[in-house]
Amino acid sequence: MVLVAPRPLLRSAPPGDAVADRGTGAEVLAQLRGDAADRPRFDPGLAGGLRAWLEDAAYDLVAARGEHAAPLLLGPRQLLGSHDELDGDDGGAGRLVGDGGAGGGRIVLSRLVHALLRQLVHTGVIGDPLADALDALRVSGSGAEVREIESLPAAARAALAGTLPLHARNLTELVPRFAPGWMPRTNDRVAIPLAGGRIILHGLFDLVVGLPQPRTASLCALGLSTSGPWAAARRSLHYLSLLETLRTGTPPFRLALLESASGRYGVEDVREEHLRALASHIAAWLAQAATVPTSTAQTAQTAHG
Amino acid sequence: MNALLAPVPAVDATSWRFTLEEAKSKLAGLAVRRAGAVRFRVTDHEVRTAFTADSAVDGRPNQPFAWTAFTARRSIGVAAVRLLLGGTARSPLEAVRYRMAESSRWVQEGSSSATKLDRWIHSLPPAGRAAVGAEAVTWATRLWCAVDWSSFPSAPVVGRDHWWDSPHSALLALRGRADVRSDIAHLVVLSGPRRGSVRAELALVTLVEALRLRGDDVPGRVVGWWPDSGHLARVEPEPAVLTLGTEAVELALGGAGTSLRPAA
Repeated sequence: MVLVAPRPLLRSAPPGDAVADRGTGAEVLAQLRGDAADRPRFDPGLAGGLRAWLEDAAYDLVAARGEHAAPLLLGPRQLLGSHDELDGDDGGAGRLVGDGGAGGGRIVLSRLVHALLRQLVHTGVIGDPLADALDALRVSGSGAEVREIESLPAAARAALAGTLPLHARNLTELVPRFAPGWMPRTNDRVAIPLAGGRIILHGLFDLVVGLPQPRTASLCALGLSTSGPWAAARRSLHYLSLLETLRTGTPPFRLALLESASGRYGVEDVREEHLRALASHIAAWLAQAATVPTSTAQTAQTAHG
Repeated sequence: MNALLAPVPAVDATSWRFTLEEAKSKLAGLAVRRAGAVRFRVTDHEVRTAFTADSAVDGRPNQPFAWTAFTARRSIGVAAVRLLLGGTARSPLEAVRYRMAESSRWVQEGSSSATKLDRWIHSLPPAGRAAVGAEAVTWATRLWCAVDWSSFPSAPVVGRDHWWDSPHSALLALRGRADVRSDIAHLVVLSGPRRGSVRAELALVTLVEALRLRGDDVPGRVVGWWPDSGHLARVEPEPAVLTLGTEAVELALGGAGTSLRPAA
């Protein structure tokens, strides 16, 4: 292991670390803002250490798969088993309704609610939730998926139309109205190549705010979970923090997780142990995959979507 | 992004001139060979496609062009960054809103400035416009935050593509796409995976610049940047890069370019 020695990175988590059952955008914003004078500085060697650790693990898998195997794309779905995230591949276009069962319905709901989050951040308002979300998907190159949703049986479509307003209402209450100066941006994709691009770790920040500053953690990331489980969604945010550390050398300093079905939210600081735990998990995943290269080849196709 | 500011290495003038003449001669041959064919524009997209002829580019199936939030983000994004640089807007969000409102105004007023993109934006329902704007905001914010704009000795040019029209045939034109241009460098924002064609895509930018310059001037370096990963690919102005760019054009036009194929 090549990871640099741990250093105290942050003050302890703020009181808002605990999950709140309900909240308002103003409360979320206040917790994200915290004390502006107390932005943590990170060891400049941290990102290099984490990368070296992952590169070591990636090498074994590349050796097992062979030099000329197609790049292996790994997102939170493969590495963490989470299913709510868009996964950085435009939501897996082409398999929206998918299995037609609960899993397919969950993906549809997730896609629609994520579209509403973007609209809310960009305009501050949501009109008719289902119509708005479908309009957003239509211009996002997902016309085929829109047609799939529109051709759902009447009962399934009615259920969707009945569920979405609840998510939209909770989002409207929970999502802070960021001043443009916070530089809010949605669907910020991260893709980190390992082993010269033969393995790619990827993910998608639902919402990022703040201006990047060298060696100072200055970004806040907000994740949206439509169906939980809470712990898995939180772990996905830690995963994205790791990717951001590898991309820019510095992780976000604070994370917020919003659950649109219940209106719950939680805000926490990013800590070095989060990053180390995820790097350790991914390294173990890669090591395990090196022993069963056939299954990882199948995973790659799924991830490519 | 220091790659945009670092001095460009010196180039052997004789070797450069010779290679450039060779490139011009080869392009003249290509233009003549295509006489009578339909107009053909070689862009980075054609180069990328030529390298990956048997598969989808960027993981997306090859489909006819259509405006989407994804295909519109760069056009709106560079306009937004220009507004930021000019002080018309103070944040990418404001700049994108301004630019999209401009689209609607132009269309409503019947302005000759209105493009197909403007008309498409104007035709969208509010939620569709929001999705397009959100995609452009993300694109513009990433570029705006990645570059230290105050470090350029003179204001860089944002989002201006350069064309070279063949003097031998009105049917052949090459496009060099760059998102930020300074006196010594051209920044190209890249998307999709790291791929074997990237050096050839960037070499096309060098080739177009070289063909447009007069005298013995040598163009600046070309820097490709993937916002997704933060990685950079630098192509310095060297004779070998001119050759690579010319071969990439040849390949895109369906010619030999055989030396490039194994690299794809």
